Amino acid sequence: MPVLEVRILEAFVFATVLFGFLGILVKKNLLMKIIAMDVMSTGVIAYYVLVAARQGVFTPILSDTPKGEYPKGEYADPVPQAVILTAIVIGFSIQALMLVGAMKLARENPTLETSEIEKGNMP
Amino acid sequence: MTIPAALSLGIAPIPSLPALTIVWITLPFALGFLGYLMPRRDRYFAFGMAWFSVAYALLLFVQPAPLELRLLDHFGVSLLLDPLTGFFILTNGLVTAAVLGYCWQSNKTPFFYAQTLMLHGSVNAAFACSDLMSLYVALEVLGVAAFLLIAYPRSDRAIWVALRYLFVSNVVMLFYLVGTALVYQANHSFDFVGLRTAPPEAIALVLLGLLVKAGIFISGLWLPLTHSESETPVSALMSGVVVKASVLPLVRCALLFETAEPIVRLFGVATALFGVFYAVFEKDTKRMLAFHTISQLGFVLAAPIVAGFYALTHGLVKSALFLIAGNLPSRSFKALKSQAIWTPLWVALAIASFSISGFPLLSGFGAKVLTMKNLEAWQVIGMNLAALGTATSFAKFIFLPHGLPHPSRLALAGQPGEVILPSLSRGFWVAMAILLGGLVVANGVYYEAYTWANVAKPLVTIALGWGVYQWVLPRLSLKRPQVLEQFEHLMGMMVVMLVALFWMVLA
Repeated sequence: MPVLEVRILEAFVFATVLFGFLGILVKKNLLMKIIAMDVMSTGVIAYYVLVAARQGVFTPILSDTPKGEYPKGEYADPVPQAVILTAIVIGFSIQALMLVGAMKLARENPTLETSEIEKGNMP
Repeated sequence: MTIPAALSLGIAPIPSLPALTIVWITLPFALGFLGYLMPRRDRYFAFGMAWFSVAYALLLFVQPAPLELRLLDHFGVSLLLDPLTGFFILTNGLVTAAVLGYCWQSNKTPFFYAQTLMLHGSVNAAFACSDLMSLYVALEVLGVAAFLLIAYPRSDRAIWVALRYLFVSNVVMLFYLVGTALVYQANHSFDFVGLRTAPPEAIALVLLGLLVKAGIFISGLWLPLTHSESETPVSALMSGVVVKASVLPLVRCALLFETAEPIVRLFGVATALFGVFYAVFEKDTKRMLAFHTISQLGFVLAAPIVAGFYALTHGLVKSALFLIAGNLPSRSFKALKSQAIWTPLWVALAIASFSISGFPLLSGFGAKVLTMKNLEAWQVIGMNLAALGTATSFAKFIFLPHGLPHPSRLALAGQPGEVILPSLSRGFWVAMAILLGGLVVANGVYYEAYTWANVAKPLVTIALGWGVYQWVLPRLSLKRPQVLEQFEHLMGMMVVMLVALFWMVLA
């Protein structure tokens, strides 16, 4: 991909990560915080995809296309894509666990405001 | 390093060690699931696995050369097993065994034992792996297992504490992942060695992840609440081994390349002082122990080359202390001062407290001597102050009144039983035998420490520390706000740390 495009995409990806983190800081509601964390993790996943696509976007599959059709080296790097799959699965399961936790907490703290939950549960 | 040299007896390499390593890494997870299918065997599986880890760690000490395993290409999982790792694995095995012994007669469900096994396995994996991606997976699995163990009582408080822990750990691991991507971009490999050629922001992000997960310095303020509000056996596991899962990678980083070494050493001193400052003024037993964990992790990091022995000593002593503190009649030092505790319990408490203060004849002494010997000149004052603070804070335990008969006998004699102790089952003493016995045995490993100068120094430190406890401490009253431990501040502190780390790496 051309350098400028990569830079612009990179800026957007980092903006996603940053906004996700800001959401965690600024939002009062636990549920919103959890969703903000998901936004942040989406940004990180996108960054891995971008890193993979830096050299090119073609799928690195051996096929019977005539040689020279894809310029040499313009393949996407499969390694970051493969490892980020693991991170997606982990992120998803953690998200699920947290939402269950939030559900349980909502019974006693219907507003789910972290400061309120904290007040009741700090020694 | 002196200790492994003393241990390696020139035994030929064991040919089946790679295969054994793979079995050792995967077995806890397999047994964890099997435990669900055979719920009556779950405890035996977990206990057996813990001892398997102990045996495996001992094998690493007699192995002449470190074992490096590379599964698949340079993209795949890479493992490094050397005597340093051996110390950490040994800690994990002994602490898990002791905690399981403690829980043996309790009515914990198979779920608890399965999660303990998962925790044990992921800690082992985090110790063994030497690439950033496998470490990420190990640490995240560890986070989930720890979450489930903390939330095991299902009370609102337990769920909140667990949720907060998982939240902090997951967010910081996202930063870590960005750093890992940058390292990959620079090297086309996830290996730790790649940090050497990685850009400074990558190093800062990866270090941030490890520092927060390990509970170091101001970013470690999630730790006191998590460790003190968990159930007794879970606290022991968390303080004994879980935090060390990210301490070992930090130590590895410090040993691997020069940019990280001064940073890790500096954080070591800062953490040791920071934790002990809070511990000295703390009025709650479990919170004091938790703050003390922060401080002791500083000792581990202050001299990376001898980190293994210190980590072993600390793991044993801290889990013993948490198990004892969970059986004291109260959590407040003030209440404890007004009533005597059962003498055998006090003896166990005193042994552990003496070891952590660095008293000779227990392995805390050897560990402290070894760490002090490997400090840089600028670290010495700070670490000695931290050692003094340790002696002061543990004087609170040593000077507790004792001499009460066993609670059951008290009830038989018809005396007013205002002291209600949870029954101290046989399991408790099994745990103590493993942990305190380990302290005594480990003391023999580094017998070169016993010179007159070395013995005199901790005795003077302890005497001074007790002096401070008797005469200075009662006159000081300091109100430390808990504000920094609040959820939002924990998150904000990550940014502060990230910026600080970035400048340190650039400098």
